[in-house]
Amino acid sequence: MRKFFLSCFAIVISLLFGALILWLMGKDPVAAYMNLLQGSGLMHKVKYAGRQSMFTDFMSFIDAMTPMIFASLSVAVALRGGFFNIGVAGQMMAAGFAAHMLAGVIPSRVLVVVAGLIAGAVVGALIGWLRYKFNVNEVVSSIMLNSILMYLITFYINTFYVNPVSRQSKPITDAARLTLSGFRWEGLKVDIALAFPVAIITALFLNWFLERTTYGYEIKATGLSPNAAYYAGMNVNRTALMTMTLSGALAGLAGVSYFCGYLASIQPGTTPAMGFDAIAVSLLGGNNPLGCVLASFLITIISKGSVYMSSRQNIEPEIASLITAFILTFAACSAILDRRRRK
Amino acid sequence: MPEVIVEMRHITKRFPGIVANDDVSLEIRKGEIFAVLGENGAGKSTLVSMLFGMYEPDEGEIFIRGRKERINSPRYATSLSIGMVHQHFRLVSNYTIAENIILGLEPTKKFLGMFPCVDIKKANRDIAELSERYGLKVNPEDVIENVNVATRQRVEILKMLYREAEILIFDEPTAVLTPQEIDSFLHILKNLQAHGKTIILITHKLREIKAVADRCAIMNRGKLISILDVPTTSTDEMARLMVGREVSFTTEKSPAHFGDVVLSVDNISVKSVTGYEAVRGVTFEIHAGEVFAVAGVSGNGQNELADSIAGLLKTSHGTITLNGHDITRASVRERIQAGVAYIPEDRHNVGLVLDFPLRDNFPLRRYYSPKFSRRGIINEAEFDGYGRTLEERYDIRSSQGGATITRSMSGGNQQKAIIAREVDMQTPLIIFMQPTRGLDAGAVMNIHRQIVAERDRGAAVLLISLDLDEIIDCADTIAVIYNGSINKIAPAESLTVDDIGLYMMGVGRTA
Ligand SMILES: Nc1ncnc2c1ncn2[C@@H]1O[C@H](COP(=O)(O)OP(=O)(O)OP(=O)(O)O)[C@@H](O)[C@H]1O
Ligand SMILES: [Mg+2]
Repeated sequence: MRKFFLSCFAIVISLLFGALILWLMGKDPVAAYMNLLQGSGLMHKVKYAGRQSMFTDFMSFIDAMTPMIFASLSVAVALRGGFFNIGVAGQMMAAGFAAHMLAGVIPSRVLVVVAGLIAGAVVGALIGWLRYKFNVNEVVSSIMLNSILMYLITFYINTFYVNPVSRQSKPITDAARLTLSGFRWEGLKVDIALAFPVAIITALFLNWFLERTTYGYEIKATGLSPNAAYYAGMNVNRTALMTMTLSGALAGLAGVSYFCGYLASIQPGTTPAMGFDAIAVSLLGGNNPLGCVLASFLITIISKGSVYMSSRQNIEPEIASLITAFILTFAACSAILDRRRRK
Repeated sequence: MPEVIVEMRHITKRFPGIVANDDVSLEIRKGEIFAVLGENGAGKSTLVSMLFGMYEPDEGEIFIRGRKERINSPRYATSLSIGMVHQHFRLVSNYTIAENIILGLEPTKKFLGMFPCVDIKKANRDIAELSERYGLKVNPEDVIENVNVATRQRVEILKMLYREAEILIFDEPTAVLTPQEIDSFLHILKNLQAHGKTIILITHKLREIKAVADRCAIMNRGKLISILDVPTTSTDEMARLMVGREVSFTTEKSPAHFGDVVLSVDNISVKSVTGYEAVRGVTFEIHAGEVFAVAGVSGNGQNELADSIAGLLKTSHGTITLNGHDITRASVRERIQAGVAYIPEDRHNVGLVLDFPLRDNFPLRRYYSPKFSRRGIINEAEFDGYGRTLEERYDIRSSQGGATITRSMSGGNQQKAIIAREVDMQTPLIIFMQPTRGLDAGAVMNIHRQIVAERDRGAAVLLISLDLDEIIDCADTIAVIYNGSINKIAPAESLTVDDIGLYMMGVGRTA
């Protein structure tokens, strides 16, 4: 309950800050914020292009939100188990890449998901293993892995798998893509995120898993106090490994729903910003799986709606990232303050 | 009538579900030693924390030197020359003593006449002078992590004095000290008083109050019961007021009936986490129905001994046998299943997951057993129900029952929760490591009764304690540990306190 208030507080303060900046730039903050909602299909726009409506906007909003849910769940699970998984971006890329490669051979949605799950889990497990075997801090190893994976994949795509026109990887075939793009319905062109229900079910499952199973109990105990967990007779190393494998697998799902769903190809040379935004989302959601869904909803409004806002208000879309960054800062601060008060 | 330096009027402080201080009014006179006594959770820490600006009262007013003050931060309290030593020291462990003391108030000089830098020489001189004046021996250049607890405490005191504190607050300062260190600490208090300081002292030990305090406030469940003149009140009277009823402070103990050998430790050696050989060739046996107590000065291998029997540390040599089975290589969980209950010394970092709700801490070492879970799925109702049962049976008080975050509970109740959990496992062997540290006299009594009750039900009890009174009260057999080896094992009745004290200092090594 308290956490919920603190999160709301973080959002309100950040939006006020954002409004202040917009106002200083001579824009109308209220109109800009309304554009965010309109761009996300949550409010009517003044006019729509052919085959588009508020509904199609909303469906592509859902499409954008799906990987965010997975990514924030990945961060949340790791944090509950005492890991700061800052490598979600790298795990997403590894998963997306593995899925693209496989789909190039056998175009199947199931295989795409499985490939993503496994690739993410392997990278996650590697980070967990490095920590308990060699005591390498997970923040360091994940940042290194982010770069290593990004450059390897970039190299491979640019050498063997590039689409010469878009300068991105060759797009995934529709038969394997997790989003039905441009689906005709009632004269509209709708993007249907097939992974969205999976994301919701995953969140519900994780909530149950953390609260109601002995594995969840072990993860939480190990995350909160490794010494007490050891005293309790838990296998602390195995739990750490399990936590990071699970977190990596979730990041893998984020990766495939992003690179093989929301997008159809991989942009070489960058890691997805979502990997970092997911940290804000998770903190905002109190590291609780259901909280993550709510927070993904909010943050996606900002990131997704910013395109429309920037075109209407003639503002750089980076203002949206700025507001997200504020939220991250305030959410992190309030998490620390909360801990202090309870000291 | 001496001048009143601190006055609290109608102070009330609430926490979710509990009134920690209920309309407390008191006056503290300049230059006195004012003790605060009360059971665990009576609200003593909360009361003095408000003087130091860690909490603000919900109702009521605080006057310092006759002026009404709103103390909203420790910083402000410091500016009113109020200082506090917390039960858990707050020192930077890889800084030197001098650096810790001056932290935040560094004397500066101008290097080359223009660059400000810390004048550590001046700091060292100032500190040497302070420690001379108040009889607080420290070497300002020692690094904190290399000095013992008593020295760290002196550093905390110097830190207050360096900030020119006149009102010194101590929250359970003696809980971490050995008997000898306590004596010298009480001496320091007297000395500080002689220099005109006002001292507020929280302690559970009536003997200490009797030895140094002028007046004593007694609290019970948030209320101020009375304020006594210490010289004219007996300790029995204080204890009675504190608990709110007549109490006896002797553990009644029937003669022991030893059964078969339960635990046999044969020539074990254990390395501490830092690689130092902390336990060297220790051998002993404990029978069913025996309280085997290990006395010793802190840091002589007691922790490592207990940890190695419970399975938290590996033995480098020797064997441990429980009921005839070799458990030397068994994991922690296997030992729990074989029947080793363990109350560890560090209740905050080891014994409890402090951020768990209380309810989740009870099954901590048995959550996987059929009672609490089936095929990996937790039996929520049993978690709840078991929590309620233990809270009732062992009188564990908390503000919101099983849902209370363990961290917010008073130290005494946290300890009760650990003991409840371990005792309730009804194991053949139970290890008590410093079980009553920081507990009020009534709670200590209860735990001693539990120790004896465990013995009487036929358990083998290993009691490791720094508190000699505790050992004398409970033990059937006493072993004295010195420098990692057992220096003496004898039936309790054959040893006097003085004997034990001598063995603790390493006398009679060759025996
Ligand atoms: N930050 C907090 N949040 C909620 N409850 C608290 C908090 N601090 C203390 N309490 C509750 O207030 C009551 C009084 O606690 P306090 O720590 O003052 O007791 P105490 O007399 O110092 O006990 P002890 O001798 O065990 O240290 C306890 O019931 C405790 O659980
Ligand atoms: Mg206290």
